[in-house]
Amino acid sequence: MARLGMVIDLKRCVGCNACTIACKQENGTPAGVHFARVINREVGTYPNVKRTFLPVLCNHCDDAPCLKACPTGATFQRPDGIVMVDDDSCIGCRACAVSCPYLNRHFIDHGMLQKGLSDDGLTPFEQVKFAGFQEGTMTKCTFCAHRVDHGLQPACVITCPTEARIFGDLDEENGILQTLIRERNSWTLLPEAKTKPCVYYLDE
Amino acid sequence: MSTQTVAIVSHRFGYGFYRQAWWNWLIGSAFFFGEIGAGFFLVSQLTGNFTGMVLGYLIVMVGKNTAHLKFLGRPMRFWRAALRPDRSWIARGIWATGLFGVSGLALLLKNSGQISLSDSTLALANTVASLSALFIMFYDGFVMNFSHAVPFWHSSLLPVLCLTYAALGGTTLTITLRELQGVHDAYGVVLLRTEFVLLVLNLLLLLIYVKRMSSSQVAAARETVRLLVKGPYAKVFIGLVILVGLVATLLLSLAQNQIQQNWLAVVIATCELTGDYAFLMVLLKSGLFSPQTAPAYARG
Repeated sequence: MARLGMVIDLKRCVGCNACTIACKQENGTPAGVHFARVINREVGTYPNVKRTFLPVLCNHCDDAPCLKACPTGATFQRPDGIVMVDDDSCIGCRACAVSCPYLNRHFIDHGMLQKGLSDDGLTPFEQVKFAGFQEGTMTKCTFCAHRVDHGLQPACVITCPTEARIFGDLDEENGILQTLIRERNSWTLLPEAKTKPCVYYLDE
Repeated sequence: MSTQTVAIVSHRFGYGFYRQAWWNWLIGSAFFFGEIGAGFFLVSQLTGNFTGMVLGYLIVMVGKNTAHLKFLGRPMRFWRAALRPDRSWIARGIWATGLFGVSGLALLLKNSGQISLSDSTLALANTVASLSALFIMFYDGFVMNFSHAVPFWHSSLLPVLCLTYAALGGTTLTITLRELQGVHDAYGVVLLRTEFVLLVLNLLLLLIYVKRMSSSQVAAARETVRLLVKGPYAKVFIGLVILVGLVATLLLSLAQNQIQQNWLAVVIATCELTGDYAFLMVLLKSGLFSPQTAPAYARG
């Protein structure tokens, strides 16, 4: 069984937020819920200033703290490593959100599914997509499991115009992911959290 | 990276510390009711005060449980939270509350003469009620300290602090109730001394907690200390939690030792409970997540 993961090459990322939009469109998340986002920051001092970009999404950690904190078992990990939430079992206690150091948990509050992105009520697109969410429960990035199960890549990966995101099997011997992680200066977010993230970053 | 250069950001697209906004005043209230209710029940049980046991039981079963249910996104599914006691402190807490509900009710019905219990059943109910009340007094500390994501909460001292706060709240409420009931027996002196010891202990533990966090290697923990000591929560933390909740309570309880007045007992209880509630609220509100950072990104 594959262990799915992602490598994000910061040298290639231009901070266009195409991944954010692609994810939003693919998953049809309610207003304010972004599974994929790009954190931007200005660094340096004038005149040597630059803006750096850090695309983030759920790390689908091998040792996921959200999974351990969930009192109902609604959060579960598939054999391929994807961490998911079973809406029907979630009670909305938000313990997973408090335990995720990467802030990749999202609560669908009451009323969120009645309010679309525009003021004119829900669009037909939102009506279809919002049916996949339940109010009062948690939701999160699934690595686009519905696409992966059909042999497709996650929406953020295929959309990235600079091909900064590489998705695949972390366990594949001499595969592209292993090679990049081994040969480039790779790191994971907040390693001190000891969550063993499956999303790796390549240095700028 | 110094904490001065990293701001607290209001949205997840920015770089900086992120406020803990998931657990709000309802969770704080649930923890508060659980701690003081279970403490009140246990101390009343130990001192044989039936009214205190009833009040403590109601505070837990009505106050704590209502706040929890009101907080849940899907309250009708609350029972599912008991499914994973092997890995979740919330699940363990649900079990403890359930056991407390059954054994406590049995004790209260027995003491009010509504039912009769055999000696062995009564002993079992007493033991289960005491142990489950004790568990409710401190388990919320573990619920919070389980989260590595909020470094200020991730301390082994937190469950101890919750336990001592619960014991203090329970002792203070029992003393107040006894004053109002006009009960004067041998337990009176013991309770007053216990309250004094717990007040001093709480103050010391709180100062040690903040001191330890102020020298934490994690910037988010140090930033929380700054919020508590110099930042927007300083008035609540220093004013209500330390000065009103502990220092004023300590001084007033020393005066109470001398003059033994009903109204003073009520004032002491009000001060102590205000400090206790403020402590839990400020603990939740000041929690921060670390910036999303890694070597290359943090270099600045």
